[in-house]
Amino acid sequence: MISLPWFIILPSIIGAILAGFACSTMGAFVVRMNLASIGVAMSHAAFAGAAFGVMMGFDPTITAIIFSFGTALVIGPLAEKARLQSNIIIGFIFSIMIALAFIFLNYAPGEAAKGSALNILWGNILYIDFNDSLLLLFLSFFVMIFIFVFYKELISLLFNRKLAEASGINTKIFYFSILFLTGFAVALSLKLVGGLLVFALIINPTSTAYQFFYDYKKILIFSPLIGIISCLIGFYLSLMVDFPIGASIVIVTTIFFAIAIYVSPKRYKGN
Amino acid sequence: MKNNYIIYLENIETIYEGEKLPVIQNINLKIKSGEFIAIIGPNGAGKTTLLETINGLLPYTSGKGFVYGKEVIKNKLDIRKETGYLIQNFEIDPQTPFLCKDIVMSGRSGKIGIFKLTTKKDWEKVWYSMGLVGMIDFANRPVGKLSGGEFQKILLARVLAQQPRILLLDEPFSNLDFTSKIQIETLLNRIHEKHNITVVIVSHDLSFVPSSCDRIIVMEKGHIIMDDAKENILSSEKIDNIFQNGVLK
Ligand SMILES: Nc1ncnc2c1ncn2[C@@H]1O[C@H](COP(=O)(O)OP(=O)(O)OP(=O)(O)O)[C@@H](O)[C@H]1O
Ligand SMILES: [Mg+2]
Repeated sequence: MISLPWFIILPSIIGAILAGFACSTMGAFVVRMNLASIGVAMSHAAFAGAAFGVMMGFDPTITAIIFSFGTALVIGPLAEKARLQSNIIIGFIFSIMIALAFIFLNYAPGEAAKGSALNILWGNILYIDFNDSLLLLFLSFFVMIFIFVFYKELISLLFNRKLAEASGINTKIFYFSILFLTGFAVALSLKLVGGLLVFALIINPTSTAYQFFYDYKKILIFSPLIGIISCLIGFYLSLMVDFPIGASIVIVTTIFFAIAIYVSPKRYKGN
Repeated sequence: MKNNYIIYLENIETIYEGEKLPVIQNINLKIKSGEFIAIIGPNGAGKTTLLETINGLLPYTSGKGFVYGKEVIKNKLDIRKETGYLIQNFEIDPQTPFLCKDIVMSGRSGKIGIFKLTTKKDWEKVWYSMGLVGMIDFANRPVGKLSGGEFQKILLARVLAQQPRILLLDEPFSNLDFTSKIQIETLLNRIHEKHNITVVIVSHDLSFVPSSCDRIIVMEKGHIIMDDAKENILSSEKIDNIFQNGVLK
């Protein structure tokens, strides 16, 4: 057990709750809209971006956002029209981003930078600072308002894009909004969960919620709830037994998912 | 004049993205408000393509198209808000996590308008149209758990809840048993008379053209080969070459 003063722990706990909320809420869209492969590509681009920031001495959060947005801009339109198959997106973007990230990290100057490099890889509870938490708070608010204001459009789009389009919704705007919000959530949660695992926080809680509900409203409520709980338990485990925080959170989400599959009334295979 | 028609297509040609040859061509179609039209033709004739060209889901590659007097290419969203489209053979996963009432409401999602929340009035429209198709008891059931015909009725309720000016129905009777066919036919006749909606249905089955239908369009290989009053089409000899006892050969 590591004991830390509350004023260090508290911002981290808040950061963990917000990261769980933002990532797992976006997960509810990513899973249903088959954006998993583009999401994986974006989260690894964010990872490469953060590594780039560390190498250049910029704020890694900013460069992570830029990289993941860039990826969304480039492959978003291709994936949208199904001109690019998802296994190609994964195979190509994923590997090139990981390669870039390791090259950038290798050139990170000085010991302090090497330290941040490791944090970006594995995540670190204490690496989340006040600014990151504030950004996560803004993002979480924004996501909540987005869902509240556009609820009817989003439900329509989540059910089926073509039907939504046929009833007069401009689905393109929503598709890209969802991509960018996901990119934001990933980039801001990177320091906590780590670049290699952050995507699990998007997919796993929603896949867990999927096992239980036939009503998407409930999935939209329970997915972030499961995400938040996973982050808190992961956080606690990490303090108790000194696990790396990212790994610890992801293991918790995976255990939830495994239990859900086992007890699920639906036995849904997930995504 | 294009303004006298609710649907006005002139020399329309539609090519699917990535393809070279048009799927429908030389389409000239003028439909007046309140008409009830059936489009028939063999598989692959281009019936679905024509419907999706009308509401702009597929962009036409040449010609001119106007719906409600507005150019289709430039006013797709506005046109679709007023146009109900029932998709042919829409399939879903049995695990799909959506309730029937939410699917029916989603028909109104474009029409209500952006930045507006759904109101009690919108829900009343939803209950009303679910009642019309006889599916009110299914409101809180997951859509994936319905039979093909039940789901077809939910999709029909979805477009009715939209309260459209034009109904484009692609094979509305597929999946329906005889009783349901009669029920839905009666419903379509009634809606058409009561609300003066323009109805365009696509059908395989000549024997199942609703009684309100006054005009039949026959398509083959991407062309409109006949377009006439129902009686004339049904009594024409040419039709016997395409149909046998009212059913496609
Ligand atoms: N997405 C597509 N890309 C390329 N060609 C297509 C596409 N969809 C349909 N086609 C082609 O267009 C032609 C007309 O198709 P369409 O779906 O309009 O026929 P249909 O009259 O509705 O047939 P059915 O009675 O089977 O529903 C077919 O030959 C088909 O191969
Ligand atoms: Mg068809």
